[in-house]
Parts: sequence; structure tokens; C-alpha cells
Amino acid sequence: MGTPTTLRLAAVVLATAALGGCAGLQEDDVARVAGAFEDPGAAPADRCALLAPSTLETLESDESSPCADVIGQLPLPGGAVEAVEVWGGDAQVRLSGDTVFLTDTPAGWRVTAAACQPRGELPYDCEVEGP
Amino acid sequence: MTAPRYGFLRANALSLSFGGLFLVTLVGQAIAGTADFNARQVTNGLPTVSFLDYVTSSSFGVDVMENWQSEYLQFFLYVFATVWLVQRGSSESKEPGQEGTESDREQQVGPHAGEESPSWARTGGWRTAVFSRSLGLLMGVLFLLTWAASSVAGWAAYNSEQLGQRQDPVSYAGYLGEADFWNRSFQNWQSEMLAVGSMAIFAVYLRQRGSPESKPVGAAHADTGQTG
Repeated sequence: MGTPTTLRLAAVVLATAALGGCAGLQEDDVARVAGAFEDPGAAPADRCALLAPSTLETLESDESSPCADVIGQLPLPGGAVEAVEVWGGDAQVRLSGDTVFLTDTPAGWRVTAAACQPRGELPYDCEVEGP
Repeated sequence: MTAPRYGFLRANALSLSFGGLFLVTLVGQAIAGTADFNARQVTNGLPTVSFLDYVTSSSFGVDVMENWQSEYLQFFLYVFATVWLVQRGSSESKEPGQEGTESDREQQVGPHAGEESPSWARTGGWRTAVFSRSLGLLMGVLFLLTWAASSVAGWAAYNSEQLGQRQDPVSYAGYLGEADFWNRSFQNWQSEMLAVGSMAIFAVYLRQRGSPESKPVGAAHADTGQTG
């Protein structure tokens, strides 16, 4: 009874410690991408490149214009990063002026939804979102 | 009659077969789970993941752990319940009148231990006390560990889903109060209790010739505790 139980406990502790270390690095990446997307001074093309493919497609279809032409008019006030949550391949960044949702893609973290307003128990109502 | 001489494979055929089946079905779950997860990702406009990413995810972790915890709970309860509760006529039960932990002589403990008895059965004191309960204790500890693991993996998987659906994540304490956690726990527990209860009563009236899980084919329905 002792050996298998001890090994299991050690594995859980080690995995938790390792995951904790990884989570710190991921939070930095996520915050950087969200901040860069919401930066009104950044080049529109650079900001659009940070959108997840399906969100970019939906935005350009809804606006009937390329992303770079319309991103300046979208309500993306940005601001300082207040909180970051990373769970698996999904993340949420609360900025002082907005809440942004991101996903991990082979090209790095990308924005799936922005200009989001909370609605209590319901999903956030986002102006920029995927299908 | 002396036992026939068996090689390692034949002597351990039962555990090896089920160990092999476990690995095959776990791989099957991993493959089907990756496909299922990716189908939901596409629906939510999110990128698909590789097989390796999925099997190291909390989503796979919770799906495996929630099943393991209920199996160990089933065996933990079964091992202890059959000490005190009987089912008249069942091969899964002791004879009515034999409820309890029985005498040291019947259990070959302490001075009643034989030459081939495990040493902890003979030594007495805390070693014998622990060894006498080691099966139920191990099942109970494994249940608690896997239930804790499924709660942590479930919390991570739930929060990942929440974010994918543009909702806020919850704390661990918050997750323990969520319907998702208790739905997963109860749906697994109900099937385990059903399995044990069904087996206990089916074994009274039905037979499987040659199986130690069954009474001999010709045994009376009222005969308890025999196996064939």
C-alpha cells in the first residue's frame, strides 16, 4: 500500500509545481498579445495579425471590409492589464478598459473575442468575436 | 490434487488479459476523445489540437479520473459491505449468520497462521491490524486520490470550456459547488452501485458454468456463498 500511494502523491506534487512554472510564462505571453492587440498606436496590420483566423474571418465578413481598414473604428479602449487567467489552451485578460478572450494556436496566442461586456451568468457580449 | 505447473503467462492470464484490455480501451478513449474535443473546438471557432496535446490536457484527464474514482469507490464499498451485509442465495455473499470480521482461527491470524501465511498475518499488533484491512484501505485511498485528481482536472477542464465560451472561470471552491462536478460524480457512482447490486441478486438465480463468480449450475437458489 505505501509505495504506490507515495509515488502517486509525489507525481501530483511535481506535476503541480511544473505546471505552476509553465503557467507564469504563459500569462506573460497572453498579457503581451492582448495588450498589443488593444494598443491604438500600433499598426492596424499588426493588430489584425493577432486575431484568431475564425474571428478575423467573421469580422471581415460582418464589416464587409479588410480588418486593417476597420480596426481603428472598433471600441477597443485597452488599458493596463489587471488580471490574466490561463486554462489549457484558452485565456482571458482583463484590461482597465476591456476584457479580451484568447486561444493558443500553432502561431502563438491569438485573440478570439474583444470589446466584451459582462452579462452575469451569460457569456460576455463581444463586438469582435468568432462564429 | 496438486495444482498444474504453469508458466508466468498462464498463471497470470486473468490480470494480464484485463491489463491488456485496459490499455487498448484507454487508447480507444484517447482517439475518440481527441475527435470529439476537436469537433467542439471547430463549433466554437477555436483551433483543433493534436492527439498528444489532447492526452496531456485536463479534458482527457478528467474523463479518465472520473471513471477511475468510481471504480475504486465501488470496490471499497463492496469489500467493506460484504463483511457486514449478506444476500441470501448469492455467490457474492457470505452465509447468513457469518456477518462480521469472523474469528482469528477462521481467518488464520496470529497463532492460527500457517507456515505459508504472509508474515504480517502472523506477527500481531498494528501490522496484523493494517494487513487485515489492507484491501479495503487501498481501495479507499485510491478512491480518495482519484476523486481529488478528477476534481482538479475537472476544475481545469471546466474553466477551459468557460473561457472558450466567453465566460468567467471559477475558483476551486466554486467548482466543488458546480453542477458539472456533482453531475460527473453521481453519474459514475450510480452505475457502480447498479453493477454491484445487479450482480449480487443475479447470482442468486442465474449461473455461469465454470466461473468462480457463479454458484455451481446445480446448486439450489437458497444456497449462499458457494462458487462453481
